[in-house]
Amino acid sequence: MESKVLKPILAVYVGFFILFLYGPFIVLGILSFQQGPEGGPQFPIIEWSTYWYRHLFGLTPPSRIAPLPVGEALVRSLTLAFMTMVTATILGVMAAQAFRKRFRGAGVVFYLIVLGMMVPGVLTGLGTSLLANNVIGIERHWWSTAFLAHVVYTFPFAFLVMLAILNRFDGSVEEASWSLGVSPITTFRKVTFPLIFPGVLSAMLFAFTLSFDEFPRTLFASGRDQTLPLAIYGTFSVEIHPNIFAFGVMTTLFSFALLAVYGILMGLSVRRAKKMAMQEDIA
Amino acid sequence: MSAASTNRETKNTFRLLAPGVVWMILFLVAPIMMIVYVSFWTQTTFSINSTLTLDSWRNFFASEAYVGALWTTIRLWLIVLTLTFVIGYPAALYVGLLVKSKTVSTVLLVLCVIPFWTSFLIRVLAWRPMLGKEGAINIILQKFGLIDTPIEVLLFSELSVIIGMTQIYVVFMVGPIAFMLGRIDRNIIEAARDLGAGFGRIFWKIIFPLSLPGVVVGAIFVSVMVLGEFATSGALSGRKVNLLGNIIVTQVGSLKWAMASVVGVILTILLGIVVAGFLRIVDLKREI
Repeated sequence: MESKVLKPILAVYVGFFILFLYGPFIVLGILSFQQGPEGGPQFPIIEWSTYWYRHLFGLTPPSRIAPLPVGEALVRSLTLAFMTMVTATILGVMAAQAFRKRFRGAGVVFYLIVLGMMVPGVLTGLGTSLLANNVIGIERHWWSTAFLAHVVYTFPFAFLVMLAILNRFDGSVEEASWSLGVSPITTFRKVTFPLIFPGVLSAMLFAFTLSFDEFPRTLFASGRDQTLPLAIYGTFSVEIHPNIFAFGVMTTLFSFALLAVYGILMGLSVRRAKKMAMQEDIA
Repeated sequence: MSAASTNRETKNTFRLLAPGVVWMILFLVAPIMMIVYVSFWTQTTFSINSTLTLDSWRNFFASEAYVGALWTTIRLWLIVLTLTFVIGYPAALYVGLLVKSKTVSTVLLVLCVIPFWTSFLIRVLAWRPMLGKEGAINIILQKFGLIDTPIEVLLFSELSVIIGMTQIYVVFMVGPIAFMLGRIDRNIIEAARDLGAGFGRIFWKIIFPLSLPGVVVGAIFVSVMVLGEFATSGALSGRKVNLLGNIIVTQVGSLKWAMASVVGVILTILLGIVVAGFLRIVDLKREI
């Protein structure tokens, strides 16, 4: 069998493939420990130091290299991501809930929603800013126009995640609740929601991280106040220093922290579901 | 079911869908319509008014730089698409089909996804210390004595944009292909083998056709993202490579809304043709 030869070759290949994916980031991580403030964003490492991390938090004596303008941008990005997460998840849960029943025009609505994640950001961004700037004549802000565009982008992800969850959902528990005379709203709160909570959590995670990192839409649709990706983009045109690398390492760690919170919440909800199932068994 | 309850159900569906649908019409469909509309507006040096004209369209096709950007976009898209497929398919083949253990396959897929937890712009920027004249690749190549002088064409060239985009988007090709490969019934392959088919024959007659929907989905993902790109080309080419996206950004920057809209419409048409073309290859609805 030729796959006896093929498999080890492909295994090695996949090793190189993963190196290709991680290589730049490893280099970036190493260079973030470059000596400062003279050390540049390239090899060789003059001396290992945490200068650029301290520089990021403003703990170094002033030098010719200005600190990254990330403080306020970070707060804005977190706020925007939170607003987007809440709105996109609510819209996503509602739309997916509607899709559990057959209805006329379901195909059109499905494609309309999915279009939001397929249209390139540069187009939605341009369109949104045209609409705001030239037609309606309002100022663009990260919390207004950019927020609208962010929801257009993240709502389809929340919708698809919820659709996948609700597809596997056993509707008979809801019917049992309804037949016992419980109102649909209470049923949703007490029966449906706890069961779909893991999906909701995933939808929230998607919406938050996509919005937090969103760049092209924000570039066009937000006003002068920058979000975090815009602040990073601003440093591209000027000379780059290893502080941006240190910053890259920090944001990655932040993402992992977020992933850990998600993992813990997910674990808790699964455990609670198990506990409830056990109590039911006893009863 | 009584007419009243059907009616109530329809109402309920409508209530659940209305907010999302209205949001998408107002903030997605309307903005895209706006791009088409504004592309026919009259642009003067400092302002723009809604008198309809074809001037911006004529200017686009008369300008070598703009038409050049269209061809650069198409060329880079074809190159990156081919590379993501050629580099991604073997990886997907291993992850989705050859690895027997489900755990190993999941771990490998997660490993591929982890880099996406770093900011997109940081991932683009990470290529600079990698490709630069004093970058990691040049240093390694020199250490091994493979080259004497650093290769300068690695950074701030079309090549660096291609490398950067391939690395960023290849996972979108691997994911769908690996998914489709994972769904192949192993018994079919076993049966073909028992009947004496070699691996090449099994691959071309069974594995590849069955993975084609994955290839198409991956190709659509990669195409949509590459065609709408401007950040990677901006950051890694030193403004030497101008894609349609870059033109839109610079036009908006100098308040030339009409020209930006013309480029936007052309980009939309290009995307429409590409996606429709891919969807003709396989009927996705039937496959998934």
